[in-house]
Amino acid sequence: MSDAALLAHPARLRAANLARTLVCLGLLGVVVALLTLVFGRAGERIAVQMCVNVAAVVALGVFCGNTGTVSFGHGAFMAIGAYLSGILTMPASVQRSALPALPGFLAGHELSLWMALPVVALAGLVFAALSGAAIARLVGASAAIASLGLLIITHGVAVGAREITRGSQTFFGVPRVVDLPLAFGAAVAFIIVARAYRESAMGLFSRAARDDADAAAALGINPRRTRFVGWCLSGALCAVAGALYGHMLGAFSPASFYLSLVFAHIAMMIVGGMASVGGAVAGVIGVTLLQDGVRQFEGGGDLLGFALPAVFGLTTVALGLAILLVIWLRPMGLVGSFELGPGAGARIFDRITARTVPAASPPPVPDAILVAEGLSKSFAGVKAVVDMSFEAPTGRVTGLIGPNGAGKSTLVNLITRQYAADAGRTLLSGRDLGKISREAVARAGISRSFQNLRLFRGLTVYENVLVAALAAGHRGRDAAAVTLRELDAFDLGALAATRAEALPYGARKRLEVARSLVQDPAILLLDEPAAGMNPAETDDLADRLIRIRDTRGIGILLIDHDLRFVNRLSNWTVVMNRGTLIAQGRPEDVRADPAVIEAYIGRGRTAAAVAATEEETTPRQGVRQ
Amino acid sequence: MDVILQQTINAISLGGVYAMLALGLAIVFSIVGLINFAHGDIMTFGGYGIFLSLAFGMAPVPALVVGIAAAVVMALTLERTAFRAMRGADVVTLLITSFAVSEILKVVFQNAISARPVPISLPAGWSGTYQVAGTTIGVVPTVSLVVAFTSLLGLSLVLRRTAIGMAMRAAAEDLEMLKLLGVRANRVVAIAFALSGLLAGIAAVIWTAQRGSVDPMMGFFPVLKAFIATVLGGLGSLGGAVLGGFVIGALEVLTQAFLPDSLSPYRDAIVLALVIAALLWRPDGLLPARSATRS
Repeated sequence: MSDAALLAHPARLRAANLARTLVCLGLLGVVVALLTLVFGRAGERIAVQMCVNVAAVVALGVFCGNTGTVSFGHGAFMAIGAYLSGILTMPASVQRSALPALPGFLAGHELSLWMALPVVALAGLVFAALSGAAIARLVGASAAIASLGLLIITHGVAVGAREITRGSQTFFGVPRVVDLPLAFGAAVAFIIVARAYRESAMGLFSRAARDDADAAAALGINPRRTRFVGWCLSGALCAVAGALYGHMLGAFSPASFYLSLVFAHIAMMIVGGMASVGGAVAGVIGVTLLQDGVRQFEGGGDLLGFALPAVFGLTTVALGLAILLVIWLRPMGLVGSFELGPGAGARIFDRITARTVPAASPPPVPDAILVAEGLSKSFAGVKAVVDMSFEAPTGRVTGLIGPNGAGKSTLVNLITRQYAADAGRTLLSGRDLGKISREAVARAGISRSFQNLRLFRGLTVYENVLVAALAAGHRGRDAAAVTLRELDAFDLGALAATRAEALPYGARKRLEVARSLVQDPAILLLDEPAAGMNPAETDDLADRLIRIRDTRGIGILLIDHDLRFVNRLSNWTVVMNRGTLIAQGRPEDVRADPAVIEAYIGRGRTAAAVAATEEETTPRQGVRQ
Repeated sequence: MDVILQQTINAISLGGVYAMLALGLAIVFSIVGLINFAHGDIMTFGGYGIFLSLAFGMAPVPALVVGIAAAVVMALTLERTAFRAMRGADVVTLLITSFAVSEILKVVFQNAISARPVPISLPAGWSGTYQVAGTTIGVVPTVSLVVAFTSLLGLSLVLRRTAIGMAMRAAAEDLEMLKLLGVRANRVVAIAFALSGLLAGIAAVIWTAQRGSVDPMMGFFPVLKAFIATVLGGLGSLGGAVLGGFVIGALEVLTQAFLPDSLSPYRDAIVLALVIAALLWRPDGLLPARSATRS
């Protein structure tokens, strides 16, 4: 993709998103059509089941795919949806005989399905909000197990609440109103909602937090909130899918929504690929066909002349083996970690030329000053930072240097609140950053890059910058325009459609700086931006940073131990060693300070080195404080 | 007074089983990042080991030993066949792998032995009671209490005092580093699985002695509780797993003893809801595992 194509990229990305949704819908449509045309009534039955499963698995994927956390709890939402919708739509006569002790407020509504579904969705949302308050606090395996706990709780309540659910007995009399048009329509609607959420600002935030929660928080994204929102939407959708499942079965029991269903749905999601909506659809199709194929042999049978014994649970074994094979051979699922269908860089979008004009360089930022006052931090007795005070105003590059282990990165983490300081505080133009949330630090005007690269691996170069622009409050075309500006400033245009994990090292480093800059910070903290770069790349980066300082007036706090690089850029240098401030001043003064030389070269050679520098720069001005 | 003493013993013996299972899960999790869903099936396999040994006419005590050995063998087999190929994969991938393995094993048990519970008849004297200061106390809860504590103490000695134990604790911090130091990682991981199998086997002995039967889902439900215990204690923390196990055991016995009858069907739900509420208060668990990530 040429740089000219960059300007058409936002339009191409929108087209690609639409195309990917259409690919999901088309895939499902083709399989459903084939099933009904080739296998008649039996095929239609399988197609209905497949469509309801697509709805359920896509709903599950809204949480799992965007947050990277497996949930076992969605069976709980499906149960709630199925029972609630069943009770609301049941004919009153059936209800009186099946559920004589039903509480009055639930009895005798006889709603149509269309009246019941909004109630079901609302109930799912409320239950999700309650359970999400706890589950969204957890990540990874802890969250998965807690969601399993939720499933067990709901199952226990469903078995116990006999007046409402008939306990573990069959709950019957639910109108069987789910036919193929309804099921297919529901699957289409769910796919569209899930695709729209995935590409929305909140969906992007969620995927950014999935790939790197700390980096997302440093951009002002609250990872917990993204999990909570995903959980709530997923819960409401799952409840509706559960209602459809109930109306498809007509009769069910709490066991219908317990581990075997959850296992089947998770298998579908993993086989297809958890990270995408297309994966969910492909997984449901593949697993449904496999299940129905294997089910033929469950009661014994004849395969190519061999008599097979009856094996109870053969479909479960087939599912288990399918999961194992997929995980071994294609860990990201059949579809992989990206959506099915063409990306924005694909050739079919070459004809889209609707250009987005990059935003003009923003006006210089208003004067501000970052002040650290007596910051201290120890880790289990090791004093990493001791009583550090310094200032970094806008319009100046402040160098922060010190030997390895001096506490530089810890200091940055204290300023951005990644660590809580033991003592001291950080002020931005008089505002105490310790009194706002960690995510609010970015919105207050401080962006940072990380020493070890922390890009959002699963997002493209364009999306990496776009997500930062959205987090900073830019919206729509404005967000696209500022994103293009930064990509252009860092020569990343040709790579806009490339995923971050496939970038060469130098480009990754530039992308991190571009990502921080798009937030239009007052103060930019760069933690070893030149580490690992060759001299040409380092010079190139220095040129770009000087330009940014001069045109935009941003204050840069530059951390590095490459003295040549820092000295070229900074107008003021702060030197740390063993967690404490040992000198600060103009770079040429600091370079001559004996304490600095000692920290860098060692005690034995200090005298000689001081003598040597004194010859070069006399008279020497001591700036040690 | 009677009731309190009896219930305390019940709570500690049930908590001991959960603690052993949770500790087995935590040892494996802390080293290879695997949340082993198949841990329950290891325990079930131990139960079937006891059943089969008794069915073939073995004396009760050797049969129990065979059961424990069966669980260890099962744990090692799973490690070698299913999990070693996946080493280094992320937590979710490993979790799903073990989930699939567990589902397959349950079907194998159903088809190879029986989908229904099979009886295990241990000598009648084992399930008797005895009197202490006028209080009637069951033999099985007392023995299981002693066994659980002995096992946990023994394991903590192994982990703290022996070379392999230290290697395992080091592996929990950084398996790659341990490899660079020349320790055979496969051996450390295998021993971790063997220990978790040993604990599951002992748990199987206690469980079958109390229930008197084995079915394909026998291990599944106590291990579900043990999962919750590991999260409550702090995932990856060994001490936390043991503490979480005892807390859940105690909560369960308490709710059983003091909950009104009308609420008794909701016992599990109430216990789990309490645990999830506790996670609101301490998301990292009661005794969080130490973790250090550099930015």
